[in-house]
Amino acid sequence: MKFKYTLETLTLIAIIVFSVIFLYTSSTMSGAEFAGSDNAGSGLIAELSGRPLEYFQPLIPQWEPPSGEIESCLFALQAAVGGVLVGGVFGFWMGSQKKA
Amino acid sequence: MHIMEGFLPLQWCIAWWIIALPCLMLGMYQLKKVLAADRESLPLLGVTGGFIFILSSLKLPSVTGSCSHPTGTGLSTISFGPWITAVVCAIVLLFQSLFLAHGGLSVLGANIVSMGIIGPVVGYAVYRLLRDTSMNIYLTVFLVTALADMFTYVTTSLELALAYPAETGGFVSSFILFMGIFAVTQLPLAIVEGIVLALVFKYIVALKPDILIRLKIFSEEKINAARDDAS
Repeated sequence: MKFKYTLETLTLIAIIVFSVIFLYTSSTMSGAEFAGSDNAGSGLIAELSGRPLEYFQPLIPQWEPPSGEIESCLFALQAAVGGVLVGGVFGFWMGSQKKA
Repeated sequence: MHIMEGFLPLQWCIAWWIIALPCLMLGMYQLKKVLAADRESLPLLGVTGGFIFILSSLKLPSVTGSCSHPTGTGLSTISFGPWITAVVCAIVLLFQSLFLAHGGLSVLGANIVSMGIIGPVVGYAVYRLLRDTSMNIYLTVFLVTALADMFTYVTTSLELALAYPAETGGFVSSFILFMGIFAVTQLPLAIVEGIVLALVFKYIVALKPDILIRLKIFSEEKINAARDDAS
């Protein structure tokens, strides 16, 4: 008999390794803030162009989430939309497979 | 991979929009055609697009001490090609620029080009190269996903390096600096994303092999071989 869950096992190992590396680096690396790489990119732009970060104002006025809480709420909403789509379709497929 | 609103000079914003728009129009045309030809491709679009929504909302920590988004574009690229994937990415990126201040309307073109076009195009090229070889389909999905993710960030670095060449060393040294921020952070994320989406593809193969065969995503022999492996 062949082992059925090779990919599942690999996924689990990858996620565990990823988490362990994160726990290790976050506890040993001093000064690691785990801020977004997007922001690090913006910092480098300011450095390369020799202008302060405040110089870069939106070209098109933009709404910003008033706090990190609201931002994470909206990110969760985005993930929820994706989750509903994925779960709904897999459920639909499983249901129609059973019928057939 | 988001270039922040205001961080790209106007002429570059316009240039990337000019590249993005025809790709989006082609994508919408293809989408209409695919859905009209086979209604059952709609659920597949839902699943593959759903993963773009989920994965691009996660900001994962990486070894460099900063966080970054996976893109999740691999499955959609394999199933529907890069242009339809660009349309789904445009929806996600529009949401993020309107409500999350991640990216913005002027830089949306540049962000669509990196996440929705160049990344998926590279992934699609890899898929086409491997599709008719004896390469295992899950390994193919892994490579396509990981490379589409990586090249999204390479493209962002390229876009920023073009707009901000360094005073000494110009474009090349600036590109290396941006790659140092984006690509290095992204490498472990791209690998994990590739493995996870390969696993998801296994479930699609198990549940709905007929749609994959009908859309000629992989040959019947390969799909059947993959199903035999899993049972």
